[in-house]
Amino acid sequence: MEVHSRDYAKRARAILRDTPGVREAVTAATRSFDDHRRSAFAELDGEALRDWAEGVKSHALTHLDRYLEQAESRLMERGAHVHWAETAEDVHRILRELVEREGVRRAVKAKSMLSEEVGVNPLLEAEGVEVFETDLGEYIIQLLGEPPSHIVGPAIHRSLEDTQALFSERLGTATDASPEELAGAARGILREAFLAADLGISGGNFLVAETGSIALIENEGNIRMSTSLPRVHVALVGIEKILPRLADLSTFLQVTSKSATGQPVGTFVSIIQGPGGSRGGEPDGPEELHVVLVDNGRTRLLADPEAWEALRCVRCGACLNICPVYRQTGGHAYGYVYSGPIGAVISPGLVSLEETFPLPFASSLCGACAEVCPVRIPIPHLLHTWRERAVEQGLTEGTARSLMKGWSRAATHPRLFDWIERAMAVLPDGISRRLPMLRDWTRGRSLPRATGPTFREIWKDGIE
Amino acid sequence: MNREAEGGAGARDRILARIREANGSRETVEHPGTLPAGLEPPVAYGGQRPDPVDALEDRLSAAGGRVVRLSGPDSARRWLEEFAQEFASVSICEGVPELLCPSLPNAQPEQAGLGVSMAVGAAAQTGSLLLSSTEGRRSQLLPPTHLVWVRAQDVHATLGAALEARMGDLPAALALHSGPSKSADIGRIIVTGVHGPGRLVAAVLEESGDW
Repeated sequence: MEVHSRDYAKRARAILRDTPGVREAVTAATRSFDDHRRSAFAELDGEALRDWAEGVKSHALTHLDRYLEQAESRLMERGAHVHWAETAEDVHRILRELVEREGVRRAVKAKSMLSEEVGVNPLLEAEGVEVFETDLGEYIIQLLGEPPSHIVGPAIHRSLEDTQALFSERLGTATDASPEELAGAARGILREAFLAADLGISGGNFLVAETGSIALIENEGNIRMSTSLPRVHVALVGIEKILPRLADLSTFLQVTSKSATGQPVGTFVSIIQGPGGSRGGEPDGPEELHVVLVDNGRTRLLADPEAWEALRCVRCGACLNICPVYRQTGGHAYGYVYSGPIGAVISPGLVSLEETFPLPFASSLCGACAEVCPVRIPIPHLLHTWRERAVEQGLTEGTARSLMKGWSRAATHPRLFDWIERAMAVLPDGISRRLPMLRDWTRGRSLPRATGPTFREIWKDGIE
Repeated sequence: MNREAEGGAGARDRILARIREANGSRETVEHPGTLPAGLEPPVAYGGQRPDPVDALEDRLSAAGGRVVRLSGPDSARRWLEEFAQEFASVSICEGVPELLCPSLPNAQPEQAGLGVSMAVGAAAQTGSLLLSSTEGRRSQLLPPTHLVWVRAQDVHATLGAALEARMGDLPAALALHSGPSKSADIGRIIVTGVHGPGRLVAAVLEESGDW
């Protein structure tokens, strides 16, 4: 996926100005996700559970080489093909070869953020493959030609009315069709695609080293179908998705589901060990299973002495749901596949700080994300770390830096301070906002107004 | 072997080498061990009815599924005949005992109104039925209504125990079904039966024995 994060401020402004409905839809959806998460955690010892989950993921990451080799062996014993991809280009090459060898004409896709990250759809389409996103939300945004706006609910920025208009135009449904009728229209098209597809592509929520299992959580059943009906199944799995044991999986399935939607567990969970069909000695299922272990910047993040902790992420979306900044715009403003607080700390590591520079600043540092993260990623701390690095690398605006310098000079020189204080108190807001430096500074901030006598004046007059 | 040699072996070694280098100076973290029983998410729904079958019934019902509890072969047969009346055809997974197969014309899974399968286990904690790919997946997924038979003795309190019981005998794909297919992707309004079965009926066989 192309990175447009440098335009964060411009994109955020455009969303707020041109599509005010997005803010409303995203805020309502994320509040509802968060309410459900809250009630789910109310019935357990959430703090101790998060400590445990953090420990398991940190353990897996500090032993990642060993566990990846173990998972690979288990999968190969079951007849799965295991590929390793260092980059998005490697994933493309693996898919291109597969498409040619297997004569793939049609592919069904189960929602996968990694497939967005490495740009699977444009590649397949260029190869002449017809691609169907099968998650209802993904299908909606595929029709719109948009990237996902949220890790769990890719189309949360779209209202019922938006989808009614879209489906009426593209699928010929009534302009006032009910959600059931709209879902029915999509199901009709996608059911046919499922039955005719040669290739199913999924991501992977977890990869269990002990058993080589790929685990996938969902609610619609489209992931089960994508991984069961076509002759070939390709699972794209980030190397950080490792869990050591099957016993860890049962807890992680629950913790992730509860953090995402408040459900005890997603409606459907697939736990995949190998190919099915005649290869696996079973009545049906894919004859071939290809597991692609993807790096694409993850080892760089792992080498980072601080940001490596972000690799614990289970992609539940809880930090997006609680974030007052994400709620204003949804994911599109962030200009990359991962948005919200977690996107702001993993994107600079996966891509580069230079290309994603303003994202760590897209936060009020309120700390809510750290409180909901089920694996205790210190997101506010990492936002700070990336900000410091951005300043060190000279990425921040020159005006902000000179203003800070000016401020420290003024604050240590009483007479200068006094003079500025008086000037700011008498200058009307409209004029002070137009002063060369303050103009840039106040574009994303409001200027505090001086009211009444200054503290120094009161001090001089004597406090009653 | 199956490892893709062309270009892949080099990538594998380079990725593993980078991981080792990245972790080189990092202090390793110990696995915190099995989740202490006190930290398990509660089994009983709403803090009541801790019996696994009761809890499974409560959780599955809360997720929009239906649970029927049958005391023996006769009552199971009687219930099945009545239940089957609303369907014109059925697609039955391999290995469902004869006694538990409705007397309906067989159809392909994509045409049948009803799919019937036999769970290999269940977890009360999450209201989940465990289904194995060895019985065939299409009948579990394509018909709009899914009837799943579950033996009461296979219902475990926790998801961990239910998965552990299958550990030695994992099929190509083990699935958890914990309610009817649902989506809230259109305007946050819940719609059922989006792709998978929109109706899930779990029939629990309470009398132990050979079904």
